[in-house]
Amino acid sequence: MTVRAEIRKLLTTRTPLILFAAAQLLVVAGISGVLARRDNVGDAATQRDAVAHIGLVSIFALILGIMAVAGEHRHRTITDTYLTTPDRARVVLAKLGVTTVAGLVFGVAAAVVALASAAVWLAARNESPALGSGDLWPTIAGGIVWNALFAAIGVGVGALITNLIGAIAAALGWLAVVEGIVAQLVGDPAKWLPFALGSALDALPTATDGPPQWLAGLVLAGYAAAFAVAATLTTVRRDVT
Amino acid sequence: MSTVRAAGLTKRFGTVDAVRELDFKVTPGITAFLGPNGAGKTTTLRMLLGLIRPTFGTATIDGKRYAELRHPRRVVGAVLEATGFHPGRTARRHLEILAVAGGLPLARVDQVLDQVGLTDAARRRAGGFSLGMRQRLGLAGALLGDPGVLILDEPANGLDPAGMAWLRGLLRGFAGQGRTVIVSSHVLAEVAQTADRAVVISGGRLRYCGPLEGMSEDGLEAGFLRLTEEAQR
Repeated sequence: MTVRAEIRKLLTTRTPLILFAAAQLLVVAGISGVLARRDNVGDAATQRDAVAHIGLVSIFALILGIMAVAGEHRHRTITDTYLTTPDRARVVLAKLGVTTVAGLVFGVAAAVVALASAAVWLAARNESPALGSGDLWPTIAGGIVWNALFAAIGVGVGALITNLIGAIAAALGWLAVVEGIVAQLVGDPAKWLPFALGSALDALPTATDGPPQWLAGLVLAGYAAAFAVAATLTTVRRDVT
Repeated sequence: MSTVRAAGLTKRFGTVDAVRELDFKVTPGITAFLGPNGAGKTTTLRMLLGLIRPTFGTATIDGKRYAELRHPRRVVGAVLEATGFHPGRTARRHLEILAVAGGLPLARVDQVLDQVGLTDAARRRAGGFSLGMRQRLGLAGALLGDPGVLILDEPANGLDPAGMAWLRGLLRGFAGQGRTVIVSSHVLAEVAQTADRAVVISGGRLRYCGPLEGMSEDGLEAGFLRLTEEAQR
């Protein structure tokens, strides 16, 4: 019941659809930037840099996750949600499950859009996709998983910071500013921070000295699990005033 | 026939006692929940509904804490927010979500929309609703599970005279079926026309619990002011 209600919540307002559309546009723009302007677009490495944009869409999945919880606080629908399902842990789990799947959908759609737009650009330049090279698929898979995990982390962030604007500002600020500064401060250990892990998972061009893909995915999943536990523990105790 | 009971109910926010050792029992009929601003009314209602965790004491509905109710929306309907809707969601979709989450038949959605007079606005986004329409939509959500208890926090806010008369009729009919209504209000004149009993709190403490006419011999307002003035902080 709770899960079905969460799916309906996701599909009955426009914001998730706008986030979804914006994410796909970003993929097209990012891939076009690489494949239209670079010279060696036939190389598997260049094509991998292009399709790595699938993972960057995870920022939208993160915001989707934040909105699933903090959005309910903002519009005061959280009161009705808890009145209907007093077992708040169940609400958090339902939101986690539904939003993670939605993040997966964001990622899969981004992968399809990425491959389609790459095919168009490569055809226009008389090159072919290096689908058999073994470089492309791990990045595509990593990008999809990054989307799903960031969606789950978003639910955690939204549950910990229930102020919608504050939560989004904190998340984007972390990605854009804090993680970079922390990286300069601490050096090597910074590769274990969430965005750096996502980059390694997705084989972004910037993630050159990160952990191997499987380990990056595992640790990022650990972050998602830690956020989920923290979100559940704070949510069941919090007074809803 | 449902009974709502507070026993030693206490809530401390930091160093402030918002509610102190409240004991009262609400039985079927309409009970007005009265008190000045900041008296602890909303905190008390939210403790009854499991949204705020009491520091001490218990709040129960038919002997069970809200969290222990198996089908809470079938037992209690509550309106605590003047606007508890996503502005981009239509009235019908809002109610459908509540019905699905609460395990209630979707057919109830059209019934309650009709009951509160919002059938024609069902496909409109709640963000465009007037305050009165929002109150009606909130009530529709509370009625969805056909509960035996209604708990309403300031439901008259934003209602025009016709809306007030309609609400009064609705609550009277509800109570007439042997159900229990707790309604917090500031509008004493309205309370005088609607309620059977009153619970008065001030400064987080119980000041009165009993029949409305027992509150005062010289008018409801005089009685209310006398009951609440000594507790002003």
